[in-house]
Amino acid sequence: MQYPTKMKIKRILFGKNDKYGLIFKVIIYVLLIGISFIFLYPLLAMLAKSLMTVEDLINTSVAWIPRNYTFKNYTNAFQWMNFFNALFDSIQVSILPTIATIISSSLIGFGFARFKFPLKKTLMGIMIAMFLIPSVLTYIPTTVLYQDLSILGIKLNLMNSIRAFVVPAIFGNGIRQTIFILIFYQFFRIIPDELFEAAEVDGSNVFRSFIRIGIPLAAPAFLICGLYSFVWYWNETALARLYFGSHYTTLPMSLDSFIATYSSMYAQGNVTLDSVNSIYNLGVQYAMTLISIFPLLLVYLFAQKWFIEGVDRSGIAGS
Amino acid sequence: MLKTAKSHCGRILKLVRKYTGIDFLIKKFKHLPNKYKRMIYGFIFILPWLIGLIYISIPILFRSIRMAFSDKYYYIIDVGWRITGKWYDFTQFKRIFMDEPFHVTRIIETFQDILIVVPLVVIFALILALLLNQKLKGIGIFRTIFFIPVILLSGNMLMNFERNSLLTVPAIASGTISNFMTDYFPQVFNEVILGAFGKIVLILWLSGVQILIFLAGLQKMDKSLYEAARIDGASMWELFWKITLPALIPLIYINVIYTTIIYANLSNNAIVQIINVHSDEAGILAGTLTDEINYGRAYSAALSWILFLIELVVIGFYSFVVRLSSRKYD
Repeated sequence: MQYPTKMKIKRILFGKNDKYGLIFKVIIYVLLIGISFIFLYPLLAMLAKSLMTVEDLINTSVAWIPRNYTFKNYTNAFQWMNFFNALFDSIQVSILPTIATIISSSLIGFGFARFKFPLKKTLMGIMIAMFLIPSVLTYIPTTVLYQDLSILGIKLNLMNSIRAFVVPAIFGNGIRQTIFILIFYQFFRIIPDELFEAAEVDGSNVFRSFIRIGIPLAAPAFLICGLYSFVWYWNETALARLYFGSHYTTLPMSLDSFIATYSSMYAQGNVTLDSVNSIYNLGVQYAMTLISIFPLLLVYLFAQKWFIEGVDRSGIAGS
Repeated sequence: MLKTAKSHCGRILKLVRKYTGIDFLIKKFKHLPNKYKRMIYGFIFILPWLIGLIYISIPILFRSIRMAFSDKYYYIIDVGWRITGKWYDFTQFKRIFMDEPFHVTRIIETFQDILIVVPLVVIFALILALLLNQKLKGIGIFRTIFFIPVILLSGNMLMNFERNSLLTVPAIASGTISNFMTDYFPQVFNEVILGAFGKIVLILWLSGVQILIFLAGLQKMDKSLYEAARIDGASMWELFWKITLPALIPLIYINVIYTTIIYANLSNNAIVQIINVHSDEAGILAGTLTDEINYGRAYSAALSWILFLIELVVIGFYSFVVRLSSRKYD
């Protein structure tokens, strides 16, 4: 059957039934590209500026493409932030609490998901209510409490050590840990009871079946929670500064202190055109910002799928 | 030698178990009905959280309340924490509202800011989720880009952007559109829209997780419902308003709450900035008496309770709005 040309053009442009027309597709792509640009704008702008020399930074006619490319900002940034030390601190400060978080969250989630006990609903309600209390509210009393916290008679000496992150994570009070507990809860809840019952008939006790059945079947939850927890501990600077003082200097923390130094120098008028050779300039700051987020971007690119799946599996949306 | 030591150890352990009553407990436990056994197992598994609740969460909450309603809250070495002032004096709140006009303006600014940003974030998240839900080639790349903020978002990052005016794309904030708007539209309307343009990066960066939540909801939607409606001759516009939106309303509540909490807690809002500055300058860690002469923990605690109240008001207000506008679907 031969369509008239007019109909054909119409079908291509406006689509038919389920198929989108060309016009619609073009509009959507233009929107998507535009929005992507806005999303990436700050990062792109920082990338462009971090490659500029000071002369180009000051020159307002240079917007995106530097006249002379320079990597000096990056080498300066590396030196200033003492990159490898800061990276080591960062990894330490994010990985140890993450391990504590996923271990305790999986236990707690398992407890809530698989056993019936009195007050269960109430306790879960309390857990979620506690999560809704904003972190700013608990900010100062937390530091006050941690200075002389002792649990079950054991004095913990949390301040100025990594324990200030790890110990609360063990006891379900890590950064946004309720989300992780809920993710584990969802994962353990959908495992069929028959599996555990069969294991118990064969003489396995509860802890053994947690390790042999629960953990393997909830493997994605471990990955999701591990990734999110890692990222959130990595980005945490305010709490880290309060707890660690100068004992640890993570990448974001050293970026912060650079910005603080730079802006105080700027306010005092110490940053002028003469100080072209000074390392305190916007280019170095941007280079530093990009360096401090680079490890996160790397993690994201390799584990993107799990970040996106995390929200889906947490059961926040429906179910 | 080693063997005897081992057997000695074993014997001692046995004795300890016998006389501390652990043996007795284990025996009792083994004879319990299965139901009670499982209850106890449940409590054992959530024990870390229970300990955390009793030793960390609840004390923190009470301390926070007590601090906000105190005159001074300070630490003396070898003595411990001291509180002065009666709670019904409301010293800190009086100070905020009577002695510190500058801080009051910052509080009002923060309130307005949250009130404007929250709905914009939720609406943008909904639009972006709808866009990403289309089955088109290369949508994966856009997904990757849209969710970058999920990992990079932190208060310091946003503050960094704000300080270097990276929160908006210059072409959007001061271009033909904004000139056109100021010429032809009423002032109130413009303030909101141009305010949104001025913070477009912020709004998009804040909406990462919300897009994910909406997307998850969209993908769980029943496809046959759409087909049935389409056979009855519904257009895409009608499909959105009559099927998609009503199904997403519970998620809108969740996103309003999530956005409010996240945005209010980011360190780029004015109240958090005041709190941060004071917790730094007052030297919380040093914990000396002189800190309290300026602004101290008590003052910051009171401020954070005010921020919490603002959050509750915003969440309440928008929940009410969503409820009102969704009543016709019931």
